[in-house]
Amino acid sequence: MLFSAVRRIAATLFIFTAVLVANAAAQDADLGKAPAGVVSDQQEVIASITARTDALQKKMEQSAEDDAGLVDIRLQLEQLSRDLLQSGVAFRPRLAEINARLEQLGKPPAEGQPPEPAVVTSEREKLNAEKTEINAVLGVAENLSIRIDRLISQITEIRRSLFQNLLTKRYQINFALGSEVADAFKTEMNDLYRTVSSWVRFVVSFKLKSMLAATFFALGAAAVIIIGGRRMFGRMFEPDGRVEEPSYLSRLSVAFWSTFMQSAALVVFLGVTYYLFAYFEVLRGDIGAMLWSLFYVIAIVFFVSRLGMAVLSPKLPKWRLIPVESGAARWLMLLITATALFTGLDYFLSSVYQVLGSPVALTVGEALTSTVVIGVLVILIGLVKPFVDEEGRPKPWPRLFRYIVLTLGGVTIAAALLGYIGLARFVSQQIVITGTILATMYIGFLSSQAINEEDAFIKTTVGRRIKRMFTLDDATLDQLGLVTSMVINLLVLTVGVPLILFTWGFQPGDMITWLYRIGSGFQIGSFTFSPAGLLSGVMVFAIGYFLTRWFQGWLDGSVMARSKVDAGVRNSIRLAVGYAGVAIAGLIAVSAAGIDLSNLALVAGALSLGIGFGLQNVVSNFVSGLILLAERPFKVGDWIVAGAVSGTVKKISVRATEIETFQRQSVILPNSDLINSAVGNWTHRNKLGRVEVPIGVAYGSDAKRVHQILLDIARGHPLVLKNPEPFVLFSAFADSSMNFEIRVFLADIGNSAFVQNDLRFAILEAFEREHIDIPFPQRSIRVVGDKQATPWPADDEQAEAEYAAMEQERLKKSGEETAKPKSRRRKPDPS
Amino acid sequence: MKRFLVAAGALVLAMSGAAHAASAVNLDAEPRTLIVTEGGSKTELSLAAGETVEFCSSGCFVTLPNGDREALTGDETVEISGGAARIK
Repeated sequence: MLFSAVRRIAATLFIFTAVLVANAAAQDADLGKAPAGVVSDQQEVIASITARTDALQKKMEQSAEDDAGLVDIRLQLEQLSRDLLQSGVAFRPRLAEINARLEQLGKPPAEGQPPEPAVVTSEREKLNAEKTEINAVLGVAENLSIRIDRLISQITEIRRSLFQNLLTKRYQINFALGSEVADAFKTEMNDLYRTVSSWVRFVVSFKLKSMLAATFFALGAAAVIIIGGRRMFGRMFEPDGRVEEPSYLSRLSVAFWSTFMQSAALVVFLGVTYYLFAYFEVLRGDIGAMLWSLFYVIAIVFFVSRLGMAVLSPKLPKWRLIPVESGAARWLMLLITATALFTGLDYFLSSVYQVLGSPVALTVGEALTSTVVIGVLVILIGLVKPFVDEEGRPKPWPRLFRYIVLTLGGVTIAAALLGYIGLARFVSQQIVITGTILATMYIGFLSSQAINEEDAFIKTTVGRRIKRMFTLDDATLDQLGLVTSMVINLLVLTVGVPLILFTWGFQPGDMITWLYRIGSGFQIGSFTFSPAGLLSGVMVFAIGYFLTRWFQGWLDGSVMARSKVDAGVRNSIRLAVGYAGVAIAGLIAVSAAGIDLSNLALVAGALSLGIGFGLQNVVSNFVSGLILLAERPFKVGDWIVAGAVSGTVKKISVRATEIETFQRQSVILPNSDLINSAVGNWTHRNKLGRVEVPIGVAYGSDAKRVHQILLDIARGHPLVLKNPEPFVLFSAFADSSMNFEIRVFLADIGNSAFVQNDLRFAILEAFEREHIDIPFPQRSIRVVGDKQATPWPADDEQAEAEYAAMEQERLKKSGEETAKPKSRRRKPDPS
Repeated sequence: MKRFLVAAGALVLAMSGAAHAASAVNLDAEPRTLIVTEGGSKTELSLAAGETVEFCSSGCFVTLPNGDREALTGDETVEISGGAARIK
């Protein structure tokens, strides 16, 4: 098996190379005769294009009344224009060659310079001659393209004036001719009957088998669609009468699928039938046109009635999309179908009359009747009261809608009666077609709204399927629902609006050109505003953003995870890369969007002063953040003390750092504080830390014994480091106690609480064992001196009398020694 | 996820609406004039020294300063130097 595969591959390669070689050989041969080749080839092409243009111009003049024919001619002219351009482009390689060769040859020698070899001169002349020839041919092509473009714009003009005439042409309605018109109608109907019956006879006699085969195939195709659709979408097809409260989405999907499927089946049936009839040449020219318009009408009427049935659902009130009352729903169904029917009938009859060549009076009369009938029907639709207000009384349509509908109906009738038949017919046709498209768009919007509601998407079948396939959670699915609804809105707009414009007569080519022109940019004042540029800018930014994210992830996951870089550095690098990437993406996006920032420079200069003052702190924080990232005085996980806040660093971002205190409170510190003031980091280089346990012992205890006990306790704890050694300091003779302090170093300062607990319990135990006191605050009071004191005398006068008596006795003793008599001495002053 | 989808949608739109027009660059030190025939009319397009201009989004014939004619489809870049043009 391998060998045969190899053989096959070899064979293919061989054939491939053979073809290439042959091609190259052919090209070489071509290049040899290229000069004559290109010019004469293209001249032929241009001549043929000219001929075709002439033919189309003649045709244009002939069918100046036929709108469809003019459209066709225009399409062909556009194709010719494209062919012409291609033929012009065919010269380009040859021109490039000539120019290159001329450059090689250089300039001709100036006056007074030695002449160049004759070969060079002759070649240069030959090349110049050829170039002139090519230029001449291109000139012809250019003029031809101008002519073609002029013809195209002429056609647009003609079509526009045709349309204007159609709308403004006024027929003289002579009601007296009514009976004549009726007679003519009868004649035409007979005519039609004869034509159709003769065709049927023709078919039955000659083409019966082909026609049966065609019908069979058509039925087959339609059946495939219906059965296949039912198989695939099943429940989504038919409203289930048993369901009590169908959700809006299921109602919508049923409405959509039933309308779509059935209409699609019918369209396929009719289309295949027509195509096969044409293929088997069952159709004669006139029958073909009439059959085509008949099928067209049937398809439209069917579609409209299906749509109305789906939206109004007269029989199953729960499945209705618009909350109208049942009676009103039936009425509306009837009126809408009748409107579509009459419009279709009008269209069909007009094409029949065109084929049969009926008199003008008949066409006018028929158009008049049908437009008036349609106008009446539209007015009736507007007058229906479909809703019910709070008290149960019938409520009409919302005011704007009602007025529009009534006005349209009125305009149709008035135009018809006044003789503006073209206008009336146009309005009535547009009512049906644009109305249908608008109704479908409205349902599309309703469905996107329904999906937009919370949790609605999750409950649909599609949502469930996606959830299973991609295993997403509910929140993501909800967002997906949001996106889906936006997409549906966009889809409805992009399909509906061009469709409406198309039915109003705008060509797709025109619409696409408009779109390109708007998309590439238009000027408002001196600003060039370009949606395409903006979109491309957004897209570039999105790409840049995702690239940055991916790069970040790759850097972090693959490169830095393998290296021995620690977590904090990794985080810093990741953040820095992220910011740089987003900034670059933003700059590129702005330039891709084509936004010229130089105009903003002046304004920015003036604003920047004020903004600068306001943003002082923020910028300071930002720069501090960058410094923190670069210098890393602390990293995530460190225990830092910043002012009064102490906690573990959780996150360092560009403006602030988040710290979690031990009370599990998150404190967010601005980075500038961390840079401008002192920050203590317990775990900067390592987790080593010192723990102190102060203890006071009573005076009178054995200090040396206490010291030894404390040292033993400190040394005995397993978590205490032996280096640096534990130390017990006899710190003070305090007022009440002798103060000691145990100082131990721990390997991990986070264990300080445990170690302190353990040490204190151990101290308590040891002191109890040794009967050492830990005193309360103390005061000693000492009483000094113990003699009995003389008591104070009780009676003062008695004491004075006794004192006087004592004094006299003393004086008597001393009076015997002195002869002089003594006068009574005065008492000395008391003080 | 939402953003990714929005970006993808924008990508599609931008691709479809990407303004693809031919551009002309004047590499000379003096202004040059091109005569552009587009949509049935001839217009003069002058380029200052060093200027780049976008024109001709849907095919046109262009007459270069030295008299040469070219047919452009809208994707090319025309470099003018010394009066002669090179088409990329």
